[in-house]
Amino acid sequence: MSEQRALSRRRLLASVAALPILAATADGRSISGHLPWSPFAGEPPKPVSPLGWYFFNPGEVAAIEAIVNRLIPADELSPGGKDCGCAVYIDRQLAGPFGQGARLYNKPPFSPGLPTQGYQGDLSPAGRYRLGLRALNDYTHTSYKRGFAQLTPAQQDTVLAGMDGGTVALTLKPGFSTKEFFEMVLQNTMEGFFADPLYGGNRNMASWKMIGFPGARYDYRDHIDKHNVRYPRPPVSIYSAEG
Amino acid sequence: MRQVLLAVAFAVVSSPACAASVDAGRYQSVLGDCEGCHGKNLAGGVELMTPFGKLVAPNITSDKQTGIGNYTAENFRRAMKDGVGPGGKRLYPAMPYPAYAKMSDADIADLWAYFKTVKPVRHAVDVNQLRFPFNLRFMMRGWNMLFFRPALYAADKAKSAAWNRGAYIATGPAHCGTCHTPKGFFGADKGLALSGASLQGWFAPDLTGDPTTGLGGWSAAEVAEYLKTGRNAHSIASGPMGEVIEHSTSRMNGADLRSLAVYLKDLPASPGNGGGASGVEAQMKSGAGIYRMNCAACHSLDGRGDNILFPPLAGNALVRQTSAETLARVVLAGSKAVATRETPTGPGMPSFAWKLNDAQVANLLTYIRNHWGNRAPAVSADAVKKIRTSLRSASH
Ligand code: HEC
Ligand code: HEC
Ligand code: HEC
Repeated sequence: MSEQRALSRRRLLASVAALPILAATADGRSISGHLPWSPFAGEPPKPVSPLGWYFFNPGEVAAIEAIVNRLIPADELSPGGKDCGCAVYIDRQLAGPFGQGARLYNKPPFSPGLPTQGYQGDLSPAGRYRLGLRALNDYTHTSYKRGFAQLTPAQQDTVLAGMDGGTVALTLKPGFSTKEFFEMVLQNTMEGFFADPLYGGNRNMASWKMIGFPGARYDYRDHIDKHNVRYPRPPVSIYSAEG
Repeated sequence: MRQVLLAVAFAVVSSPACAASVDAGRYQSVLGDCEGCHGKNLAGGVELMTPFGKLVAPNITSDKQTGIGNYTAENFRRAMKDGVGPGGKRLYPAMPYPAYAKMSDADIADLWAYFKTVKPVRHAVDVNQLRFPFNLRFMMRGWNMLFFRPALYAADKAKSAAWNRGAYIATGPAHCGTCHTPKGFFGADKGLALSGASLQGWFAPDLTGDPTTGLGGWSAAEVAEYLKTGRNAHSIASGPMGEVIEHSTSRMNGADLRSLAVYLKDLPASPGNGGGASGVEAQMKSGAGIYRMNCAACHSLDGRGDNILFPPLAGNALVRQTSAETLARVVLAGSKAVATRETPTGPGMPSFAWKLNDAQVANLLTYIRNHWGNRAPAVSADAVKKIRTSLRSASH
């Protein structure tokens, strides 16, 4: 064990040594006098289309919509996760660079990490969803003789709570636990619920209205002195032209 | 300053007798903004868009093959004042000889003394890229007959020496009217001098005494401050004026800037913009929401901006010009203020083309032109659409 560690540290040092050489050949530009500027500059995020599915197949759509609707049930506070677009949000994320793990280092050797380090295996996030949703349906078919989406809300809650609490074990892969799968879906559902609507979730800014968050505004100078007075304006998205 | 000292030192070594006029000639080239078109090293290459196509400013260094190294003093004088190059070649008035014609022969002689000392740079330039038939040089003979009235600057005895110095600089070497005076169909001056004109995608504003569109609300000191530093309490310069300030007015001496201000502040008022918009409640309401969402963070809700970085839009004459061309351009493409020695930051304004459609930009501009006491004609979505299209094609 300790030998392996020494080895990897030496490897790390070697790769650090290689860096300056690479950096020296990379493009460099020194700026003096004026800062560079060009017209029409800006790389705004592209709003997703609300129609269709880019990653999930029909069976997966039914399962994920059922899950997000139990994690965020429709009640007096907000519409349910499905109507808020959480499944659409997750679908677009999995179809894009996040789903491919484009920004993660994902080459062998794969060794187990600490719990705080998150998933350490070779599956991309998209791969984990595919595997996880299949295993979930296998589980409910075995235990309830039907797919997750066809269970009653109470049964669905039992399964989800079991996944979270350790009483339900899906057949996944070594290094990818049922609880990790649950936490991943919960995390992404919350993102879909609270992120800017341009990413497909948070339809009609329902979550922002729920918690009284005014959204992508950046000037409160006319309100800053009004203590204990609720901010009167409705939330706005990055793409809202008017506010 | 260091440059000036070097030039003086150089001149002393090469021809002691001419030192004074080389120095004076260098200053004439600042007044005339030669670098603004002919480039920092005067070797040419700066593209000038005209309504008739593209002209590229030639190499005017002392290089014999590609510059003006073979010019005589007389060749130079005629190019500057008659618009005629060696061998009778007619120059296009994109070279502002109609204004330079006002310059005194002494100033032209100084300028020539300086140009003889400009380091030769070999750089061939394909000048004439105009569209047919404007690319035919002999056409300029007709243009000159119709529109060109060369005349030395004639002092107005009724005015002060400072006023006359300012008028000489503005109408002569500094050719302010080239941009700020309205042009007729053939590109010749037409209408009230310095009352504002459309350039390629910018509007050079009214500089007369009108209080809504002109400099009526500026003090003479504020005019001089703007020309020296690129900003004052009313406005921040960018685009073509930023270039004029960078290469020319920021390098003029204090007395000349004060003279320019005296002259400009004495110009009789233009008719203004014809008043504010009416019947545009819907545009104003939408514009207010768009302003709050996109602009207030920098220019502030009360339109007063932030003194150091963000120009005010309330009471800003630029916002109240008859034409909203500059405004639409600044909002769509974004803009960057000129950076000068005194104000080196050159703050930038972001582009909103990705976010606001033509109708939204029109509502927004109608709002800023008619709120906080501003009054100016409404802006239509169609007008914004045209500007967006032409800006897009020019930026590729
Ligand atoms: C607004 C742009 C502009 C400014 C400012 C300007 N020029 Fe020019 N100049 C031109 C263009 C364009 C031409 C080419 C005209 C043509 O070929 O018809 C030109 C041509 C000339 C020529 C003739 C070159 C030849 O081909 O023989 C001379 C000399 C010249 N400029 C000198 C000057 C000097 C000196 C100044 C400063 C006092 C100056 N110019 C300022 C645009 C400009
Ligand atoms: C190349 C074209 C051009 C020339 C030459 C030019 N200007 Fe300008 N000027 C402009 C434009 C365009 C603007 C608008 C600037 C902006 O939008 O920031 C402007 C703005 C100004 C303003 C600010 C007006 C306001 O209300 O904000 C003043 C003052 C001014 N110019 C004075 C001059 C003087 C004096 C000269 C001659 C020394 C001159 N300009 C030469 C194009 C020009
Ligand atoms: C991030 C800050 C910022 C935001 C947001 C912003 N501006 Fe600006 N604006 C600037 C700066 C800095 C300048 C000065 C730079 C220049 O003139 O090129 C400027 C210049 C201008 C000018 C020219 C005024 C002059 O005197 O030169 C106008 C008109 C203008 N802005 C309108 C708007 C409008 C309308 C919006 C909303 C769509 C807006 N701005 C949003 C920073 C901002």
